Amino acid sequence: MWRGFCGSLSGLALACILSYPASAQDKKAAGKEERPVNAKKGVPLPPGGPTPRLPDGHPDFSGVWFEGSTGGQTFDAAARKQFDPKVTPEEPPPYQPWAAAKIKAMTGTDYELGRASVNCLPRGVPGMVLLNPYPLQLVHTPGQLVQLNELNNNWRVIPTDGRAHDPDPDPGFLGDEVGRWEGDTLVVDTIAIDERTWNDFKGWFHSDQEHVIERFTRPDLNHLFIQVTIEDPKVLTKPWTSAPRLWTRGHEKLQEYFCTNNQEVDQLTKLKDKETSEKRTTKSTVSK
Amino acid sequence: MSRYRLCGGLPIVIGLMFLAVPSYAHHSFAAEFDSTKCMDFNGTLTGIEWQNPHGYFHVDVKNASGGVDSWSFQTVSLITLKRSGTSRRDFLDNVGKPVYVRGCLAKNGAKFRAAAETLKLPDGQLRIVGQEVEHGRQEY
Repeated sequence: MWRGFCGSLSGLALACILSYPASAQDKKAAGKEERPVNAKKGVPLPPGGPTPRLPDGHPDFSGVWFEGSTGGQTFDAAARKQFDPKVTPEEPPPYQPWAAAKIKAMTGTDYELGRASVNCLPRGVPGMVLLNPYPLQLVHTPGQLVQLNELNNNWRVIPTDGRAHDPDPDPGFLGDEVGRWEGDTLVVDTIAIDERTWNDFKGWFHSDQEHVIERFTRPDLNHLFIQVTIEDPKVLTKPWTSAPRLWTRGHEKLQEYFCTNNQEVDQLTKLKDKETSEKRTTKSTVSK
Repeated sequence: MSRYRLCGGLPIVIGLMFLAVPSYAHHSFAAEFDSTKCMDFNGTLTGIEWQNPHGYFHVDVKNASGGVDSWSFQTVSLITLKRSGTSRRDFLDNVGKPVYVRGCLAKNGAKFRAAAETLKLPDGQLRIVGQEVEHGRQEY
């Protein structure tokens, strides 16, 4: 296992992540000379030991996992990074021309208003792993993986016995997801994903034909990687694959996060109205 | 810098640095608040709204006319506040006391609404409580 890991992409990515430089957070905060007391540099965790295993011999992904390298939540932006784009670059989404044109026409405010999160909707699949700054807890037993997301207090149960998809699944934020093992990698395959979810925060919408494949690996005790491939023949010209994204083991209990005081939709709608009004005024002035 | 060894003598610390890759929040403060309209506020803490996705705290600030404006400041999520060392109790214990806030105004023109970047309570400690709008970096 160790020999295999040494040559793996995950190993290289992990090496680079563990060696990130001093954070920008060490610099002045918000233009003030005084350094905030909670602007602490994140400390990356070492491997911590070998990969734990389930009774059936497969890797055990159980644990509370935080994005980035520290095993905790931090204001240190460098410590929250999940991959090094120099080592494992991610290509832009390969949009079909009509989809690219639709997204190009959006403004920054449109991006905000379209986010599932701004609307207090679940981030769904794959947002819960690609767009989730909060910890998740995995509870792994032979035959199933349970993912508990602190964000919006939602969860999913992934059977890992290699079963087939439901032949007629209802669309949902979590979709219809099934898992299978490829060596020490758990491959989670999801279809029937609710079209209200986006794959990024800049307008990457998807169709009812979206197909998401997540690959979970745990190279050691403290580190978990999740790599995502997205196929969408109605929106993309070819599949898109993420870098292996790093999560690091923490020891905190998940907390409550219900979205009950959401003021953004109202405020951003007012901003959109203001921008639209200013655009009309500009056009009118130009045409005179 | 610490070095870790995983595999039979192979030094795995390579020393490459990360490029800026945004970490995503509930929403971007920089999209809703104006990075060119950030300023210092000194006033009296009057209360909090301790709910997700963002906390809000309220501060009475004297205006140029001699009156008082009641400002609302948005913070990061409660879980982020708590994990970074700022609790509900920190606010409650300081209601009625003087505070300093670095904040950025709402782009939509809403009056007396701003995103808080940093806050100084009467203990004199400056603390991060919001996203850093001025430099465009997102924090939860």
